[in-house]
Amino acid sequence: MKEALPFIIEKHEGYTVVSLRGELDYHSGKTFDEHVDEIAAGVHVMVDCEGQAHIPKDWLRSVLRIQLTLKKDQKCMRLIKVSSALMNYLKKEGFDTTFKFAKDLREAKVDAGLATKRTLDTEFINPFLTATLHVLKVQAQIDARAGQVQIKKASDSIFGDVSGVIGIVSESFHGSVVITFPEATFLKIVSNMLGETYTEISKDILDGAGELTNMIFGQAKIVLNEKGYGIQTAIPSVVSGKNHSLSAMTKGPVVVVPFESQAGNFFVEICLSD
Amino acid sequence: MFDVKTKVLVVDDMLTMRKIVTKIMRELGFTDIHEALDGEEAWAKVQAGNYGLIISDWNMPKCTGLDFLKKVRADEKYAKTPFVLVTAEAESHQVAEAIKSGVDQYVVKPFSRDSLKMKLESAHKKCATRISA
Repeated sequence: MKEALPFIIEKHEGYTVVSLRGELDYHSGKTFDEHVDEIAAGVHVMVDCEGQAHIPKDWLRSVLRIQLTLKKDQKCMRLIKVSSALMNYLKKEGFDTTFKFAKDLREAKVDAGLATKRTLDTEFINPFLTATLHVLKVQAQIDARAGQVQIKKASDSIFGDVSGVIGIVSESFHGSVVITFPEATFLKIVSNMLGETYTEISKDILDGAGELTNMIFGQAKIVLNEKGYGIQTAIPSVVSGKNHSLSAMTKGPVVVVPFESQAGNFFVEICLSD
Repeated sequence: MFDVKTKVLVVDDMLTMRKIVTKIMRELGFTDIHEALDGEEAWAKVQAGNYGLIISDWNMPKCTGLDFLKKVRADEKYAKTPFVLVTAEAESHQVAEAIKSGVDQYVVKPFSRDSLKMKLESAHKKCATRISA
């Protein structure tokens, strides 16, 4: 039976990840060396060292060859997920200044210019605000206006009766978007969307909050992914209950944007975390 | 444009969106409109009925709209059934994948009655060309 090699090569758009896993022995080191040209084929390389306390010298020579080949093509190599034990070992061997390091794949991609830093800035928030206005206008014929963007403090709570929630998931960050409506606002919006008058929240219209969230997320995702955010498709869910409040599931900052509309007020919350 | 007597299948896991599409289709004059909750139910309905137009959401649990489209196109009996995908996501690689899989038109949410009508007219033209070819 063929033994599994202690390295995995994964090619992505613009970069290759080489994961070193298990014991880096002499024989597999020779096989690894045979793959150097393939690995250093004109794209940035991230060497994932998770779980490694040391890298044998013959392996280090191959890694160095990757780095030198990439340099000629003006590409870079980063060692990622380097433990303190491995860092100490590399220092001892004099390799700590030879290689470049990054905490994780996300940081390495940012360093290599393959991704931008993900923060809750206007570049990230504005597509959601624009999408909210657009979706309400087109699907419910309702004009809305975004208020002042606020950072939500731990003590702040947004109360509402129906919320649409959708996860923001990408390779290097995650978060969520929550749209919270008071009952009257929600009923007016859904009545406009469906062309019928609804006077109470029922299961027949509840998923309207999910659909609105889905549309807003989808519109914002198009804009953000054009900028390289790599946000993945997600399915929304709905939370209902008189005067409920939702807590963010991530440790990152949360922004709240109050909206005024012809249907009444509502809130959009966006949170993001590494 | 499609004959208003065409048997239409509207597929979406969200009741609200099924209602929106059905309402617009009724406003456009269609009367024989059926609904399905996801790709699996839709596929069962397609095999049991003689649908002349399918309007399906893309992002659904179990069987996505794209998987459903591929099933429809893979079966000789339904391969030429007009198929319109509705989605909140219209990134270029997704559009390309849908076209490759044989979609006739692609509607991006949010959409108005006029934009859906325009897409249906375009899908009809495309299907007519395909059938006469």
